Amino acid sequence: MWRDTGLKLILSLILPVVAQGARHTPPGKPKLTICRSPEKETFTCWWEAGFDGGLPTTYSLFYQKENSKTIYECPDYRTAGANSCFFNKNDTSIWVNYNITVVATNALGSNTSVPFDVDVAYIVQPHTPENVTVRVLEDKEGPFLRLSWEPPRKADTRSGWITLIYEIRVKLEEDEEWEEHLAGQQKMFNIFSLHSGGVYMVQVRCKPDHGFWSEWSPTSSVKVPDYISQGRSVWILMAVFSAFIFFILSWIIIMNKNSVRHCLLPPVPGPKIKGFDKHLLKNEKSEDVFNALVNNSFPPRSIDYEDLLVEYLEVSINEEEELILEGKDIQVVGCLKSKSPSDSDSGRGSCDSHTLLMEKCGGMDSKEESSYEEPEVQQAQAANWESPERTDRQVGSPDTSDGQVNACSSDISSSIHGPSVNQRQGTLELPRQDTVPDKLSPKSRSHHHPGYMESLGECCELPIAGAQHQLEAARLQNHSDYNIASLKQQSETTGLGYVEVQKVNKENQLVLKPLSIHSQGPLHGSCVGAGEEYSKVNGVNKDNVLLLQRQREMAETSQSCDDKEKEGVLEQSCPKQQQGKTDTHGFAATQLQESMCLTTSGYVDTSTMMPTF
Amino acid sequence: MKNTTTQSIVFCLVVSCQAIDLNELMERAAQRSDKLHALSTSLTKDLDSHFPPMGRVMMPRPDMCHTSSLQTPRDKEQALSVSENDLISLARSLLRAWNDPLVLLSSEAPTLPHPSNNDISNKIRELQDYSNSLGEGLDVLVNKMGPSSKYISLMPFSGGDLRQDKNSRLINFHFLMSCFRRDSHKIDNFLKVLRCRATKNRPETC
Repeated sequence: MWRDTGLKLILSLILPVVAQGARHTPPGKPKLTICRSPEKETFTCWWEAGFDGGLPTTYSLFYQKENSKTIYECPDYRTAGANSCFFNKNDTSIWVNYNITVVATNALGSNTSVPFDVDVAYIVQPHTPENVTVRVLEDKEGPFLRLSWEPPRKADTRSGWITLIYEIRVKLEEDEEWEEHLAGQQKMFNIFSLHSGGVYMVQVRCKPDHGFWSEWSPTSSVKVPDYISQGRSVWILMAVFSAFIFFILSWIIIMNKNSVRHCLLPPVPGPKIKGFDKHLLKNEKSEDVFNALVNNSFPPRSIDYEDLLVEYLEVSINEEEELILEGKDIQVVGCLKSKSPSDSDSGRGSCDSHTLLMEKCGGMDSKEESSYEEPEVQQAQAANWESPERTDRQVGSPDTSDGQVNACSSDISSSIHGPSVNQRQGTLELPRQDTVPDKLSPKSRSHHHPGYMESLGECCELPIAGAQHQLEAARLQNHSDYNIASLKQQSETTGLGYVEVQKVNKENQLVLKPLSIHSQGPLHGSCVGAGEEYSKVNGVNKDNVLLLQRQREMAETSQSCDDKEKEGVLEQSCPKQQQGKTDTHGFAATQLQESMCLTTSGYVDTSTMMPTF
Repeated sequence: MKNTTTQSIVFCLVVSCQAIDLNELMERAAQRSDKLHALSTSLTKDLDSHFPPMGRVMMPRPDMCHTSSLQTPRDKEQALSVSENDLISLARSLLRAWNDPLVLLSSEAPTLPHPSNNDISNKIRELQDYSNSLGEGLDVLVNKMGPSSKYISLMPFSGGDLRQDKNSRLINFHFLMSCFRRDSHKIDNFLKVLRCRATKNRPETC
């Protein structure tokens, strides 16, 4: 085995040397690859050699022109390099078909290539353009590049023998892609819109009208100087201007920050309830909130009556008239011929109409008349709007004087309980009207009239409370000027001289206090809660007596206002009848329907009135 | 003659036609001849793509073209030494010689056993249009040149019709196209030489 391998090794070394001599073969077939003419005057053909067969091989080119049978050999093998044949001008004909072959020859034989047909007219490929220059020029829009070049030296474009068209390509130094442009037959080219400060590279090539493109010329580069384009400068200017405007606007807005904020985000109006404290809401105790309300502002104690736009009944009676009335049998309760004929009607309700009063001045009880007279007489005395007295009398006299009833008189009667005069204080001195209750009783009877309450409402368009007020004033004005004057002295700001019930003293006298706008808070030592000036109706007792409510605590004890108010708020509910309270306080109550329902505020709710007839 | 000249002048004045100057005429002629040759080159390439293998061997020699009898310059020196009148005459002669063969080719193209015979047919038609347009333009041109420019060598085409068999038809068609390609190159070259020679005030293009 070792022997065999050694023998093989020796043979493998020897054989090539030996076989070299045996490997010689005729050359392989050469192949013509390409023929080109740069200017349509000369042309060159190249071939590639085949296997040379191991022997030195020579190549020769032979050609035959179209019309002759003469075979020529290549005149020049060197000019164009190896494996080439150069045909000079003399040997070049155009529009003539060349039949070219290459023959490879070595010691053992030769080999002929495939014939190759060539017509010079179709193989034109010029050299690259020469003298490519690029310059930076300026015009009004900015710098631009100007390319210029010349045709390849040998191409005769001047005579028109060869017509060349050119193509340029350009790119920035850092770019990868070229930008190509056809330039036609011209020998210069302009490039605009340059990048400021960039380095540009350019190349040019050419092509005959019916031939092949040349190679690209060597690169020429140029640097563009720094500049600011006109377009960009305009943008910069605009940007600066806009920034300037923006700063000015923002400065203005900042200066007027508050008004801007007020304009854009109008403040939410807060609650306008007097005494309403938003912060108490945070405590989540509605009681506190309401108490604060009630304490401070509700119900409003001092009312500018003018603001309420309520027409109050203004009754004024002259002394002369009162004297006249004394002697007459006019029975109209509360028939107040107050006005002098010259009185205008302004500010006075229909109740004050002269005719109305005249109408209803008939059919009055004598009692009423007499009671009417009395105020005059007893001017100096403190008047007792003594509801308890009246009550007694009224209770006993349910007779109805159904005749004509003055709705206004009823108002007056109901409101009689309102004002109170404190004898001691002398805030208001009204003549004692013992007979007033008598007078009132028919009035109370008049309540039975079905339309009474309605007429009450119609007449003066007031709730009872309002009527009370009005009639209070009427009553007050009833009396002598002295009283009125005294009242006026007492009242500070109220022009109309209204009074409000302060309390009921032991003698069941209503203590009045002239109302002033600014008076607030507890009056005269007694805490007055809501609805102080009005007498709230507590209920109706069995005898159809209107039970008025007073601040119970005020009469009995001297509790805090809050308590009273609370109780006042928690007052009646329909249809409670609080006779007991009424009896305790001894309030006179006008006769009312049993079914009368009282609202929580103590006011009479006429909606539930049931007619008795 | 006077009457016709007068008439033509009056006619021109009436319709306010404008005479095109020589340079412009040459430019237009050169452009048309350029287009003509480009089309013929394209056609030749189309035909080459589908050529029978033995076709090249059987192809007639180029000297069998019917226009080979016309003596044309063979290199640059000879071409540049030809007079303008002769150049234009040569161009017009060659162009005229191909009117009939183009008609034949146009009629044969649709039925040519070639995959893109529609394309070929369209191009042949286009060739005809350009050829006619160029012929008319050259006729106008020679009117502006000397009378000796109007000489035309006649080269009748006796091809008749192509053979019947498929290969022969294709080969003959190809042969005719190759003849036309060369002749159109000649026409183009002559006219471009003529263009440069006639427009001495435009060195930038020549």
